[in-house]
Amino acid sequence: MSRAAIAGRSWFPWLMLTPGMLFLIAFLVAPGLLLAALSLRDVDGMLMLLPTYSFSQYIKVFTSAGYLGALGTTLWVAALTALLCVLLAWPAAWLLVNTRSRAWRTVLYVILISPLLTSVVIRTFAWIVLLAQNGLVNDVLRKLGVIDSPLALLWNMKAVIVAYVQVMLPFAVLPLATSLGEIPPALPRASQSLGAGARHTFFHVLLPLTVPGMMSGAIIVFALAAGSYVTPLLIGGRLQPLLPINIYQQALQIADLPLAAALSLTLLAVTALIAAVMSRLQKQWERRVYGH
Amino acid sequence: MATDNDTLRGAGGPWRWAGVGAGALVYLFLLLPVLVIFLSAFSPEAYPQFPPQSFSLRWFRAFVDNGAWLRALQVSAWLLLVVTPLTTILGTTAAYALARLDFRGRELLQAFVLSPLIIPQVVLGIALLYVLTAAGLAGSMIGLAIGHTLVALPYAVRTVSVSLASMDRRLEAASMNLGATPAYTFRRVTLPLIRPGIVAGAVFAAVTSFGEVSVSLFLTAPGTVTMPVRIFTYIDQTFDPVVNAVSAVFIVLAVAALVLIERTIGLTKAM
Repeated sequence: MSRAAIAGRSWFPWLMLTPGMLFLIAFLVAPGLLLAALSLRDVDGMLMLLPTYSFSQYIKVFTSAGYLGALGTTLWVAALTALLCVLLAWPAAWLLVNTRSRAWRTVLYVILISPLLTSVVIRTFAWIVLLAQNGLVNDVLRKLGVIDSPLALLWNMKAVIVAYVQVMLPFAVLPLATSLGEIPPALPRASQSLGAGARHTFFHVLLPLTVPGMMSGAIIVFALAAGSYVTPLLIGGRLQPLLPINIYQQALQIADLPLAAALSLTLLAVTALIAAVMSRLQKQWERRVYGH
Repeated sequence: MATDNDTLRGAGGPWRWAGVGAGALVYLFLLLPVLVIFLSAFSPEAYPQFPPQSFSLRWFRAFVDNGAWLRALQVSAWLLLVVTPLTTILGTTAAYALARLDFRGRELLQAFVLSPLIIPQVVLGIALLYVLTAAGLAGSMIGLAIGHTLVALPYAVRTVSVSLASMDRRLEAASMNLGATPAYTFRRVTLPLIRPGIVAGAVFAAVTSFGEVSVSLFLTAPGTVTMPVRIFTYIDQTFDPVVNAVSAVFIVLAVAALVLIERTIGLTKAM
């Protein structure tokens, strides 16, 4: 009996699947469905739920310049963060893969993974300390004579993006490093021995082979950036026109849950759609480059 | 190995050094904020200072002397003790099933299990808030434990999956050919072989739970404030240098977790 036959005939893996599935159905699928139902509820002037169902919440979302603008800004900021992360991930992943000393490679890994292990509030706090009026960045610029009075570096979208990039960069570096590490060394060697220069080898051999890794990183960074509200709330302030901040405020401060639900599902649908398109493009590219 | 790496470096020379320099700058960008926060925790000043002018444990003492901070630490520690085993069990069984089942739609199932990582956290938070309120669990420790488990689960599944993918499956087949049941084989053959992955998964679950804030903010009540939620409130409304000391404690714990992962499975393999 082959291994596949043993595994295939056994009910045991299905049994093992059950606890996780039950948990996810109870606390991911069911809440999602109930949230969808909630988004179709009407409310009265006091935000009390009415017994009727309609698309009134979605009409509110899609006819409001504020919410549509916030959605646009959210997607734009997330896309920019993903792009910057992929750009910065290249030298980082390249250095990681090409460091020969084991000790140095471990150091680089520690630097890469430690942000994943420190709470996002602490990493955000670190940026507040760095970018504050009397923070390190202003201090250095003043001592170098670049500026006379401290710059207002916090409370704007640029600061949010800088913090986002630092917080999410490891998610882009790790898949790219995997991609880079899997390239057989013979390929760039062959390219160069056939007379291609370093630049040609990079753009026509290495870069195409790492597109899948870059896409994986970009997808996850995009999704994380599109859904996060803690960092922009703390660094950018309450007035940044970002959809996750709107959702947080509608849910917890204004207590308009149906509207918050409609905004949530809009955000979920749009990010899921974009992630799906990106991963489809990634699959197509893989097929083109690797031929399967 | 060395010669292979040399080849991958391309032409060498100026290109190579430009690459090393650019890479080093990126790592500096990743490291600097954490370093600043850690070092300024030891400065006695009322505002984080870098580089610190003098050394003091003043803010660490203030942290230990503050009952509210200690209560938050208690809440976070309790959650960690519940969430870590729960996530590890759910994650290990799910990863095993995903690795051993072979049917159409397996990839879809895998995407579903990993989806809490991709779903906007604000959406996870509000969906759980709504359901847990209906169940009378909003603001309870149980509600928070559920939220943390949901967020930590993908990390545990991924880490255990790595171990499962690299183990020799012929050992399982041999055990079953000799008459062991699948359950016995799992317990006596598979489990010991993937133990490093399970330990690393547990560490990831613990660390994720200890630092979770995005979903927690929706599920917490005055009696169940976790450490990160308390930090969030402090940064958001007032400023208190104790946050520096708390951050330094978090950073030390993160490094301890890294050491544990390195010892059990090796950092390079964990992700």
